[in-house]
Amino acid sequence: MSDQERKLPSPRPAHLVEAVLLVSASPLSSSDLCSATGLSEPELESVLACLRERYAPEASGIVLRDVAGGYLLSTNPACSAAVERFRREARPAPLSGAAHEVLACALYLGPLSRGAVSRVRGVNSDAVIRSLIERGLLVEVGTDRDAPGSPALLGVTDEFLAATGASSPDDFPSVDSLVTQEELARVRERLASSTTAPHEAEHS
Amino acid sequence: MTLEPLGRSLSDFTVELDVYSGPYEWLLALILKDELDIFEVPLHELVASYLLARQPDAANGLERDTDFAGSAAALVLLKSRTLSPAIDTEDIEDETLSLSPEELAERLTEYLKIRRAAQHLKIRFAANAGHYASGHTIPPRPGSLAIQPDRVSLAARQAFSRVLEPPVRHLGPITVTLQELAGIIRTALAGGPISYETLTSDMDRMNSAVAFAAALSLAQEGSLTLAQTEPLGPLILEPSR
Repeated sequence: MSDQERKLPSPRPAHLVEAVLLVSASPLSSSDLCSATGLSEPELESVLACLRERYAPEASGIVLRDVAGGYLLSTNPACSAAVERFRREARPAPLSGAAHEVLACALYLGPLSRGAVSRVRGVNSDAVIRSLIERGLLVEVGTDRDAPGSPALLGVTDEFLAATGASSPDDFPSVDSLVTQEELARVRERLASSTTAPHEAEHS
Repeated sequence: MTLEPLGRSLSDFTVELDVYSGPYEWLLALILKDELDIFEVPLHELVASYLLARQPDAANGLERDTDFAGSAAALVLLKSRTLSPAIDTEDIEDETLSLSPEELAERLTEYLKIRRAAQHLKIRFAANAGHYASGHTIPPRPGSLAIQPDRVSLAARQAFSRVLEPPVRHLGPITVTLQELAGIIRTALAGGPISYETLTSDMDRMNSAVAFAAALSLAQEGSLTLAQTEPLGPLILEPSR
């Protein structure tokens, strides 16, 4: 050990976690952090509680996010304009409505094939799927061996979870809760009346 | 959990019709809730209103156009379904038209849920935009696959060693050949037809088997014919004419 190293004070646990998080571009799990810092799980929890306060959005230009099953230090969105000027790049264009629908299919109905996505949406979705795979939000997670041709099955990625601020797919509300029963009943009634009315009129 | 009404690109688009005046999205809601009969809504006026209010240079211009086209198409479909007489599904190949009302309702319900989920995702994406993580790239970690040196050397020995000759010590010496038995059969046939049983009456099992193979070989080349009048009956070897 050099003289310079000998003079440095021992780092606190929070400093260790902070340093490791700083150099990671992707979320780090608790086990990753424990392995890197030598801390136990309870010690890590205590440190993360401190860091959450230190890196709260209202307290710092850096925020600690709990996304995609891990922890990630990111810039505060309030400072994004300055960051984008410095990086000389615009924020990625927002996704289209079709892209959101495809991601919703993969999240709530997945893993599912390209054909299944198109069936749910009623239109061919291959181009949208290709674009989402290129953006790292969708990935092929396996194949459907029971279907003809064994098509690839699509699922959402950790990048998707990080981009939506979710720690896991369970963080999203259930798909059934997004539509009220009254709305569903109205759709059914409306459809029933639109398909039976002319038929009844014919008989009357 | 239910969500609050979601913001959409057409939220600022209002329409002025005889039967309704107000936000376009509310018009859609009223139609969906059956509080406004779609028969009373002139779709061509809706399109004309949108074309007047269209904002092609707006940041979300394309999204507005897409949303309007999608919703207008849905209205056209709804109106046409309501107006059209009962459809004979046997004549329609289109899968969606051949669905039963229950299946169609199920499919529309599923799509409605996905549509709402997509709107929810849009909000989450927007709320989480602007986060930039560290630009530092971590080099890939070494894998956890452990390779033991002795297994590597064993695999190398097996890969590069010469193929061993198969052991033949369990095989006995060759005592009879097909050619020898073919010669015996030809000699026997010189005296006329002969049964296989007579031919092999003084042979052991090995010679009998090889004699049968030799007879088949001679029959194949046309030197003799084999005749058997009944299954499992006597097999007669006759010289070819």
